[in-house]
Amino acid sequence: MSVLDEKPLPLQTLLRVDSVSMSFGGIQALNEVSFDVKAGTIHSVIGPNGAGKTTLFNVITGAYVPDRGRILYEEQEVQGRKVHELVRQGIARTFQNVELFGSMSVLENILVGRHVRTRCGFLGAMGRWSWVKKEEVEAKRRALELLEFVGLVDFAHHRSEDLPFGWQRFLEIGRALGADPRLLLLDEPASGLNAVETQRLGDLLERIRGQGITLLLVEHDMSLTMGISDLIVVLHQGRKLAEGTPKEIQSNDEVIAAYLGSDRESFP
Amino acid sequence: MVQEILQYLFSGVTNGAIYAVIALGFTMLFSTTSLINFAQGEFVMLGAMGLITLWKGFQLPLGVAFLLSTLGVAGVGLLMERLAIRTVRKPHPIVLVIITIGASILLKGIAMIAWGKDAHSAPAFSRHPPLEVAGATLLFQSLWIILIVVAVVLALQAFYRKSLTGKAMQACAINRKAASLIGIPSEKMTLLAFALSAGMGGIGGVLVAPITMSSYDMGMLLGLKGFCAAMLGGLGNSWGAVLGGMLLGILEAMGVGLFSSSLKDAIAFLLLLGILYVRPSGILGEKAIHRF
Amino acid sequence: MKQILFAVAVLTMGLTISQSYHLQLLTFIGIHTILALGLNMLMGYAGQISLGHAAFYGLGAYATGILTAHWGWSPWAALPVALAGTFVVAFLVALPMLKLSGYYLGMGTLGFGMIAFIVFREWSSLTGGDSGLVGIPSLTVGTFSVSSGKPYFFLVWGCVLLAFIACERLVDSRVGRALRAIHDSEKAAAAMGIDTSRLKIWVFVFSAVLAGLAGFLYAHLVTFISPNSFGFLVSIRIVTMVVIGGMASIWGSLLGAAVLTILPDWLHVFTDYEMVVYGLILMAIMIFVPQGLTRGILDTYERSRRKAFTTPDPSQS
Repeated sequence: MSVLDEKPLPLQTLLRVDSVSMSFGGIQALNEVSFDVKAGTIHSVIGPNGAGKTTLFNVITGAYVPDRGRILYEEQEVQGRKVHELVRQGIARTFQNVELFGSMSVLENILVGRHVRTRCGFLGAMGRWSWVKKEEVEAKRRALELLEFVGLVDFAHHRSEDLPFGWQRFLEIGRALGADPRLLLLDEPASGLNAVETQRLGDLLERIRGQGITLLLVEHDMSLTMGISDLIVVLHQGRKLAEGTPKEIQSNDEVIAAYLGSDRESFP
Repeated sequence: MVQEILQYLFSGVTNGAIYAVIALGFTMLFSTTSLINFAQGEFVMLGAMGLITLWKGFQLPLGVAFLLSTLGVAGVGLLMERLAIRTVRKPHPIVLVIITIGASILLKGIAMIAWGKDAHSAPAFSRHPPLEVAGATLLFQSLWIILIVVAVVLALQAFYRKSLTGKAMQACAINRKAASLIGIPSEKMTLLAFALSAGMGGIGGVLVAPITMSSYDMGMLLGLKGFCAAMLGGLGNSWGAVLGGMLLGILEAMGVGLFSSSLKDAIAFLLLLGILYVRPSGILGEKAIHRF
Repeated sequence: MKQILFAVAVLTMGLTISQSYHLQLLTFIGIHTILALGLNMLMGYAGQISLGHAAFYGLGAYATGILTAHWGWSPWAALPVALAGTFVVAFLVALPMLKLSGYYLGMGTLGFGMIAFIVFREWSSLTGGDSGLVGIPSLTVGTFSVSSGKPYFFLVWGCVLLAFIACERLVDSRVGRALRAIHDSEKAAAAMGIDTSRLKIWVFVFSAVLAGLAGFLYAHLVTFISPNSFGFLVSIRIVTMVVIGGMASIWGSLLGAAVLTILPDWLHVFTDYEMVVYGLILMAIMIFVPQGLTRGILDTYERSRRKAFTTPDPSQS
């Protein structure tokens, strides 16, 4: 199964965050943060609470417009563009506190994920022309394929809010994949998962990368990040403290100092 | 011309003071509970009817009648929270809105049975002759209304600033969850907010009784206009409510005087649409409009 | 399938009921169903409240009333103009309004509804003002008159059937899913690439046009319209039909419209206590079955059936 029709050249820069700053009232949530995300890699952003990770996500997906700096996606500036436009361009995301469409079935959630790859409007829906029917069948086929991919195909017709929490996370990832993204942003995908589920998540992320999709993670769970990331950016109080491979980060004195006193235990 | 404008201003400020009290009731409830109470106008009606019955009917002294009707209406607010709002299992905003609409129909129905369909009137609070200011007449009743509204606003301000309960209520308004985490009984605050905001409506009714005809169905339009005033100033902001009320009263009086009386009821809603287009959070409101 | 059953039910009712009072009541239920259906698309599915929907109902009625009674147009020529007029007004209103959310949207639509009502009342040279607009002709097809009674019953319920089909297809489509997504989480809907503000505008326009159609049918049924049929309380009544019947339930709209059309009629026996009982019923339904009557019944049924399903264990797959 191929999630992508055309794969980008390997190791090309897909996303560039260029000295982005953003403040809320008096709080500097992001301060001159820059880094590159190469296509086909798994890139993680870590940092203590309040380091600016979620703000960074919201800036990249278009939910916030940064005060200063640029976001380049596929060599185009995207800051200030609307969230829904960027999804069409291939940037999809998940949320820290799982935001499923709770009243809808598992399958329907994925179908909403297909929104930007389908085009039926009001008239099409009411007229139900033949191309609409064809589109619907195709979207359902693809949605079932994605459910298979994330391991939820047996629950296609259950209400999504009835699923156990861990499964909701997987469904949310499947839904984001519905948009055929080239860049997938995951906001703390392992939070609230047990050890077994975290293991499965790691496998899933590897498989997604195997489809040629670039992943950018914000994560607390160090075992997951250290295990699967190609590169890690450490944010601390809105600044980029360090960037490097998991090995380099683990032995970075500044990073260790920043984590000391707060949360030494979780840092392997 | 100047004289005419002054005359419109006087009547505008008088009506504006009443809109301001009604708006304060809306705002107070909204900031503590994020709820808009469509029965607020009915509280105004109950206040007016209560005053007429107690003062004119039972011949109680004015002060006592005033106090009793205000407390009575506050009591109705308490009952409403206890019996209707608290018991809802799924407090979705639309559901709550419809419950308050149901309550408003219920109260109106009860008032119709209790007071009949006829309009009632109350005499002015005192028998002082009207004052002459630069050729325009200022009714002494207007002075009473303005005085009482100023007193209410100051008392409310002191309550929020000085008393522990008032501060706790403000904490609830800012962040309900955090407030309850540090031990503020948020349920009691909701109850108190209902009682206070109903009481405000009651005061509005007491004040409006001598300057208009009161009947069981007077509440809706007064309530809606008080609501427009609250939105105009910024929902959730007490000073905004006062400002919005005054502005609405004055613009309404000017519009009627200078243009056409058929405009009267439209002005409040035109202002409402205008402020929603230009600045949905209201003149004094915060920027963020993500409530619900 | 459902539609065929529905059509058969309508047909048998129309053919067997002969008492004109009952036919009239059923015709009104049909008109109210169209109103409730439209608002349900906006409120129940997209989660956007409108407290001024009677304005569009009135717009449809007054447009056709003025064109036919004053200017002598044929009703069939007035129909597309009335619908197009409603469409345009709704679009212009929605454009700035649907940037608002929650209560603010409710208040904006309330303000619009009040202004429309005041225009109906005060522009008396055109609308007849408080005393109403008289002389709206009945509908005719050739020489056959479609006035009250059976012909009008079939006309209205034919429209209901078409509206049902349109709404049901809409709900079960890409658009319907996007609407429900906005309802569940607007943030997540935008993150799926749904242009939420655009979609909200279109669903608002859609529901307004249905209200305009209901207004057209109402005007030619009663041949006399006055502002009070399109005031704030009517807007509230439409909202109540949707909520009582069940939000996000197409058949609930029919139930809600039926309940709120029959209830006042039935409450006449309470004479002076009518309003008290009405208010109490409204509150009681919302307190005990906040999801609406249809959902309430369905949920109870499903819960008893679903007990067999045990939550899957994630570690075993």
